[in-house]
Amino acid sequence: MASVTLTNVTKRFDEVVAVDNVNLEIKDKEFLVLVGPSGCGKSTTLRMVAGLEEITSGNIEIGKRIVNDVPPKDRDIAMVFQNYALYPHMDVYNNMAFGLKLRKFPKDEIDRRVKEAAQILEIEQLLDRRPKQLSGGQRQRVALGRAIVREPKVFLMDEPLSNLDAKLRVQMRTEISKLHDKLQTTVIYVTHDQTEAMTMGDRIVVLRDGVIQQVADPLNLYNQPNNMFVAGFIGTPPMNFLDATLVEDGGKYFLDGAGSFKIAIPEDLAKKTPELKEYLGRGVVFGVRPEDLSDASLAEKEVTEYNSFMAGVEVVEPMGSEIYLYLTLDDHSMIARVEPNSTAKVGDNVKLRVETEKIHVFDAETEEIIF
Amino acid sequence: MPLTLKDIAKIAGVAESTVSRAINNKPGVGAQTREKIMEIVREHNYQPNQLAQGLAKRETHLLALIVADLTGPGYSEIIKSMEKTANQAGYQLIICNTDNNLAKEKTYLNLVGQHRVDGAIILGGTLANNNIMKLALNQDELLVLVNCLAEEVLIPTVLVDNARGGYLATVHLLEQGLEKIALVMGPANDFLESEKLNGYQQALADYNIPFREQLIIKTNLSREGGYNAFFRVMKIDELPDGFFVTNDLLAIGLTEAIKMGGYLIPGDFAVVGYGDSIISAVINPALTVVAEPLQQLGRLAAEYIIKLINDQAIEEVIRVLEPELIIRESSSP
Repeated sequence: MASVTLTNVTKRFDEVVAVDNVNLEIKDKEFLVLVGPSGCGKSTTLRMVAGLEEITSGNIEIGKRIVNDVPPKDRDIAMVFQNYALYPHMDVYNNMAFGLKLRKFPKDEIDRRVKEAAQILEIEQLLDRRPKQLSGGQRQRVALGRAIVREPKVFLMDEPLSNLDAKLRVQMRTEISKLHDKLQTTVIYVTHDQTEAMTMGDRIVVLRDGVIQQVADPLNLYNQPNNMFVAGFIGTPPMNFLDATLVEDGGKYFLDGAGSFKIAIPEDLAKKTPELKEYLGRGVVFGVRPEDLSDASLAEKEVTEYNSFMAGVEVVEPMGSEIYLYLTLDDHSMIARVEPNSTAKVGDNVKLRVETEKIHVFDAETEEIIF
Repeated sequence: MPLTLKDIAKIAGVAESTVSRAINNKPGVGAQTREKIMEIVREHNYQPNQLAQGLAKRETHLLALIVADLTGPGYSEIIKSMEKTANQAGYQLIICNTDNNLAKEKTYLNLVGQHRVDGAIILGGTLANNNIMKLALNQDELLVLVNCLAEEVLIPTVLVDNARGGYLATVHLLEQGLEKIALVMGPANDFLESEKLNGYQQALADYNIPFREQLIIKTNLSREGGYNAFFRVMKIDELPDGFFVTNDLLAIGLTEAIKMGGYLIPGDFAVVGYGDSIISAVINPALTVVAEPLQQLGRLAAEYIIKLINDQAIEEVIRVLEPELIIRESSSP
């Protein structure tokens, strides 16, 4: 068990800054997810913790020890990648044990560790099977078992599920989360998949171009994104962004979409955000999540001029429990997740109700959140 | 000005090498990244400069063979076969002996990273270390392992199933009607030796013969070790009727001791050795052995790396070869 601390960690590849001054404290036993689009520096960060990539500057501590110059084998970590080698001529037991055997661990110790890992992974009955007799999920568990038997202080996982089909990926997500509960070990998990991040992480680090955008637990990340990048990256379908001007009318603030919409900002939100005043008359970005838009014709709550707008329906995607409407409003494309009984059709001009308590407003220049 | 790889890398926010791998349809790029790069390529109608491409490829037609210990058993045969296959395909083999020294190994692996060779074969060493893993993760994956296992990552590998070898030797003795088979082996914490022991135990289990710990003689892998093993066996209450010896040198020592004691091979004790080397061939009587497919091992390793260099698919990323039993005079009563 150990905490992992990154202090001012930077990695340069020639002129490219892959990881830029990252500061991060991963608590003991925490499940931390690094997420971001490809090339954001998440794998590089993980490899620096592993010792597979040298750091250009800064410090990495595992436990209380600075490990900058400690070789990977002495860092008490175990890595799990998407491509792992299961040896076809070895049974599951030996596929999990060979690393320990080659490191000359005593036989009894190997036996204890392999059986314990097999029990945790619920694969005890498979120990004498060969890899070709296993399902995809069982193979993945053997690969995890190989990491578990090393009894590391920290598990480093780099997109371990990305080779699996969608159904298995969902199943293994739960398995890995359960495994973390059982093992009570620190896990740093890299993924490009925000759903994986949201469902697995105690905390999530969103990276972009080597820079941390936000560190938060899943709900906070979703409800209080720091900027438009995080707001757009976390959540499926992504948050809608519309250009607007902040105006004041009768002591109230409105988001004015140049005739397309005029949305009232709830007073309590405005009160909590005194700096809003500085944006009066300026361009801002109005952010609303697809689930905070509903078909106004079905709304149980009040629909007014200032909490609704009209948009053209381009595509209707029935999902069963809900319908995705792909809409256009002026030059903007947007998505609404509406009730399954909505009768909106392609070509319709539909009125959408906005759950104004849940809207966000961003600075149009810096893309940082205002509220 | 036409767009360069560097420009695309900048737009995509990835390394140039990643762009190159994506464009040349090489492995090591995630599906999402590849798609993103190809989108930029299409969008900007990027055409690779063929002259630059040739220079950039820096094909050397050199392969590095990185060996942990050149004196490993059967290595000369493996290397000869590897070289022959490489030469036939227009490649030269550079032999890099690391003496199990990690710093030395890192220097040799840098030859791959710096594209001063087209690819490297790692022979022996048994467990791929972090230098190898780092290279496999970061470079163009132009590595092939021979008789070496990788824990975390999948690297194309050719290896021999030593457990199968132990199994074949033991089954052969069992089929001669022998039931008390002594195993003379090296240290049990040596991975290859433990594999042979696994095969021995599996064979006994399959023939319903109880495993007896006292018939397992662990010693150092030397002629003297083999010689002394026989005298240790002679102290056991119930003498064995056959021996499976896991190494050439052990076999020499053991047969010497048997003959010194005035016993006959195979009349009094049947013997099966491991490794079809010149040593086992000159022992009298001619030794029945488990032979490793050394030439095939060398040939396949070279074929694998050449295929990787030329972007050809490898059907079995981990290829496990089976050893073969060569029956001579020492084992049939």
